[in-house]
Amino acid sequence: MRRDIESTSPTAGGGWDVPASPSPWQRLIGEDGLQKWVFYVPIAFMVLFFAIPMTATVVWSVFERTQFWMEPGFTFSAYENFFTSARVENYLSSMIHSAWAVVICFVLGFPVAVFVRRRVPRVAQHRVILLFILPFMISELVRVFAMRPVLGRYGLVNSFLMDIGLINEPITVILFSPLGVIIGDVLSFLPFMVFAGFLAMEAVQLYVFEVCDDLGAGTVRTFSDVIVPLAAPGIILGGPGAVNAGLIVNQAIVALDFPLAMAISTIMIVTLMALLYVGHRLFDLTKILEPIN
Amino acid sequence: MRDDYSSKLGYGLKWAYLLSIVGALLAPVFHIVYISFNEHGFSARIYEFTTDWYRVVLGDIMLVASLKWTFYLALSAVLTAVPMGLLAAKLYKRTQHKVAFVTLMLAPLFVPADIMASSLLVFFRNANGVFELLGEALGWKWLTHWFELGFLTALIGQILYTLPYAFVIILITMSRYHPQQTEAARGCGATGWQAFCQVEFPQIRAGVFSACAFVVILSFNEATRTALLKGGFDTFANVLVSQMLNVGMSGESYAMAGIMSIVAITVIGGFLIYTLIQSGRLERVARAKADPLMSS
Repeated sequence: MRRDIESTSPTAGGGWDVPASPSPWQRLIGEDGLQKWVFYVPIAFMVLFFAIPMTATVVWSVFERTQFWMEPGFTFSAYENFFTSARVENYLSSMIHSAWAVVICFVLGFPVAVFVRRRVPRVAQHRVILLFILPFMISELVRVFAMRPVLGRYGLVNSFLMDIGLINEPITVILFSPLGVIIGDVLSFLPFMVFAGFLAMEAVQLYVFEVCDDLGAGTVRTFSDVIVPLAAPGIILGGPGAVNAGLIVNQAIVALDFPLAMAISTIMIVTLMALLYVGHRLFDLTKILEPIN
Repeated sequence: MRDDYSSKLGYGLKWAYLLSIVGALLAPVFHIVYISFNEHGFSARIYEFTTDWYRVVLGDIMLVASLKWTFYLALSAVLTAVPMGLLAAKLYKRTQHKVAFVTLMLAPLFVPADIMASSLLVFFRNANGVFELLGEALGWKWLTHWFELGFLTALIGQILYTLPYAFVIILITMSRYHPQQTEAARGCGATGWQAFCQVEFPQIRAGVFSACAFVVILSFNEATRTALLKGGFDTFANVLVSQMLNVGMSGESYAMAGIMSIVAITVIGGFLIYTLIQSGRLERVARAKADPLMSS
C-alpha cells in the first residue's frame, strides 16, 4: 500500500527520506494537482489540432467560396463541383489503384509476416521485422523519386531487361501510368502490411499452427481457413492507409478553392472511416491491441 | 509438427524471398545514392566517382539554411512529441476507455498528409481570425499572431504526424514493464516521479530513445504538411520537391535525395545495430544469471 508522504531521495538503506508536510506549492504541482492533469495533454492536443479541425472540415465544406477565401453559408456547390468534374474519376481511379496496391501488398507482404511468426526462432522474430523499418524510414519522397531512375525509359529495369535480351525496346508502361502508381503505392505501403500482419500474427498462439499440422490441414487450407481469419484485423489495418487521392485536395488549395478542398477531404475521411468501420464490424480491429495489452 | 528445418531448401527459399523483398524496397534508394556520386549524372554510360554534387549542395547558402530549419523542426518535434507519447502511453495503461483513446491517438496515421495539412491550414487561418478579433476587442496585441503560418504551425503539423509513432513505440516497450514494480517502489515511500525516474524509465529507456530516433527521421523526411503550414521558411525536403518540380532531376537533386537517404540509413541503421547488440548482451546476462555454471 502506498504511503501518503512526500519524499525526496533514496536513503542508504533503500527507503526514502520523509520530509515535513508539503507546502501549498508542492500540493499544486503534486500528484493530486498538476501532475494528475499533465497526462491529459496529449489528448487535449489531439482533440484541439486533430479532432476539431477534422470535424470542422465537414462544416467548411458547405461554406460559400469567395475570391481568395470562404465565408459562412450553406451550399453543396463544392460537392456538386466535385461530383460533376473529372475529379470524381480521379478519385475513383485512385481508390481502384489503392485496392490493387492493398491486394499486392497482402500477397507479397503477409506471407513474410506469417513466415517470421511461424518459422523464425522467437528471439529473432522482432529483429527480422526490424529489417523492414529501414526502407520504411527512408523518405517516401525519396522512395517515389527513386522510381524514376529505376522504372524510367533508360532506368535500371529496362537496361537490365535489354541487356539480358528479354526485350528489344524499353517498356514505358511502368512509369507515369496507373501501373506506375500501383508500383509506387506497393513500395510505400508494403512495410505497413508486414508490420500490421506481424502484430496480428503475434496475437495468434503458436499451438494453433501445431493443431492445424497435427490435424493434417494443408498449407493452403491452414492459410485461408485459419491464419487469414485470425490475422484479419492486421490485414485490414494494413490496407486503408493506401487510399490516397490527396493530390486532388492539394490542387484545390492551389486554386484557392477552399470549400472544394474541404469537400474532397470530407469525402476521403468518410471513405476511410467507412472502410475502418466495416473492417472493425467484421473482424474486431481491437484484437490487434492484444499483444500490447 | 511439420517444420521447415526438415527441408533446408524450403526454409532457405523463404529466407531468400524475405531478403529479396527488403532488397527490392531498398534497391531504388541505393541506386539513387549510387547515381549521386557519378560525375556525369543519371543514364551516363561512364561512371566517374565524385563528391562534387554534395559539395555543391552543402555550399549553397539557401540549402544550408533549409537544413538548419529542418534540424530545428526535428529537434522541437522530438522535445514535444516524445514526452507527449510517453504521457499518452502511461495514460493508456490506466484508462478504461482504451479503444476510444487508441483510436484518437492513432487516427492521424490513417489520414492522408494532404488532407490533414489542408484541414490544419484552414483551421489555423480561422483560429487566427478569431484571435485577432479577440485581441482587438480586448486590446491585447499579443493575441493576434498566435496561429499565423510559421514555425509553430509547422511544428504542430509535425507533432500530429510523429506523435502516433512515438506513442506506439513507447507503448510496445511499456507492455514488457510490470506495474507492480512501481507499486513496490511507492510502497517503499517513493513519489510517483521518483518511481518513474528510478524504476520505470531505466526499463523503457530503449523505447523512448528509439521513439526519439523515429521522430527525428520522420520529421526530417516530412514534406507535405510542412509545405502547407511552414510560412516563410523552407525545409530540406521542401526544397527538394520544388527543385524536382521546377528544374527536374539534376545532379544536385540526386545529391539532396542522397543526403536524406544517408541520414535516415545512418540514424535508423545505427539504432538497429545498437538494439541488436544491446539485446544480445542482455540475453547473455540473463543466461548467465539463469545458469552461472554453463555461462562460465
